[in-house]
Amino acid sequence: MSRTPMSASRTKRWRAPLASVSVFVGLWYGLAYSLDNNFASSDGSALIVPPPHKLFEGLNTRTVERIATATGISVATAFTGLIIAVVLGSALGLFMASARAVERAIWPWLIAVQVTPVIVLTPIIVRIFGPSFAARVFVTVVVAFFPIASNVLFGVRSIPQSWRDLFVLRGASRAVTIRELWIPASLPSFFAGLRISAGLAVIGSIVGDFFFTRGDAGLGRLINYFFLDTRSGPMFVTALIASFVGFGFFGVAGLLRKLFVDPWHKP
Amino acid sequence: MLSITAVSHSFNGAPAITDVSLTVQPGEIVAIVGPSGCGKSTLLRIAASLLSPDAGEVHTTGARLGYIFQEPALLPWLRVRDNATLLADAASDAPFVESLLARAGLTEHRDKWPHELSGGMKMRLSLVRTMAARPSVVLADEPFGALDQITRHHLHDELLALHSTQPFAMVLVTHAIDEAVYLADRVLTMSPAPGRITATTTVPLARPRHAGLRYDANFAAVCGKVAASLTAAGA
Repeated sequence: MSRTPMSASRTKRWRAPLASVSVFVGLWYGLAYSLDNNFASSDGSALIVPPPHKLFEGLNTRTVERIATATGISVATAFTGLIIAVVLGSALGLFMASARAVERAIWPWLIAVQVTPVIVLTPIIVRIFGPSFAARVFVTVVVAFFPIASNVLFGVRSIPQSWRDLFVLRGASRAVTIRELWIPASLPSFFAGLRISAGLAVIGSIVGDFFFTRGDAGLGRLINYFFLDTRSGPMFVTALIASFVGFGFFGVAGLLRKLFVDPWHKP
Repeated sequence: MLSITAVSHSFNGAPAITDVSLTVQPGEIVAIVGPSGCGKSTLLRIAASLLSPDAGEVHTTGARLGYIFQEPALLPWLRVRDNATLLADAASDAPFVESLLARAGLTEHRDKWPHELSGGMKMRLSLVRTMAARPSVVLADEPFGALDQITRHHLHDELLALHSTQPFAMVLVTHAIDEAVYLADRVLTMSPAPGRITATTTVPLARPRHAGLRYDANFAAVCGKVAASLTAAGA
């Protein structure tokens, strides 16, 4: 059977990621078997790092159900937070782009929010929202909106003078200019921001869990629970699922970009 | 049609153009030649009211302005057909825009994205977009500067063909002397730093003009005159 150049190049594409996964798994085994006291002397179960083949030991139905529920909650939190971050970040980016004075007034606050450790805000958030879904969503928004806002601002600022002139010559209103020039022109950089924010939203939803110990448990709470219970197998499985959720968000962001920007955008 | 009176403008205290006056009659093509940075583009932006001058006045009584940029300035997220109609008045102009696209040889490319077009096709589309608004005055800022010579000569003839069927006044800024002489009725010479109009050369060549004219002695003589005025202006 002869291979077409297409399938050959496809195989080639997978070679590098496969190699890196193999190296990763190898290092994992190395770590699991080189750590002192990694295995309990009584039953040989892994205490700190389970080797890959022992990952799913200790996963009973009850645990699997808990992980599934927690995954649902974390996905819902991250998704809701990301949607709000997109709307809020885009609006802020466009608003800052409308005038230098507005940008100068808002920008320092965005930086301040961005660098403030979220834990400092936790008591305030709990006071306002309670240890609820809304509180976790709030943390997610705080963590995820910045790349959207700054990339939309950058996108509008990068519009060539001639395109701006074109809309002045058209006699276009502010609203038309924003809708037909600013928004489409900033889409490529918006999606660059969205890719970062999609990952941050997942991190935000999990980190939020560590701060709010009451309310429905997401993946973060569950990781913490398994950690305190020294059940390293389920803990690692949960962490892996969290990273797959991150992959999923990242992938969807990339897919949207492929649909809405790639056909016309050739940098 | 378009009259600019004693216009001056400076950027951060550095004078860009000083005391420039210019009147363009309906259907007349006026070319402005001068070295890079002599304020040609500034003058054009002032004429289009994209920039308010520090002093002087611009009158465009009843004129519909069209503007052609140095680069095609196509919106990359609009297909060829949508870029073409961007400045057109209404849907009723659609057949007219289609006829312009056909003249520019772009009909078969109407569903493409701008990045799929060659440099020459992009500039043609930019021309179509401007003409779709049926302008009475066209301001063109070195529109053919980035094109190879063969494409440039083609576009000169396409522009003149459009001009003969849909007469418009035009101010063409360029640094190519032969382009100015081939297209214009009058060539104004601009000196650098600050920009001033230092000479006016009337082009005594009949219309319609054809490509062979470029190798005519009369054509060369007019080019020589413009070149001499540029040298005198210190360019």
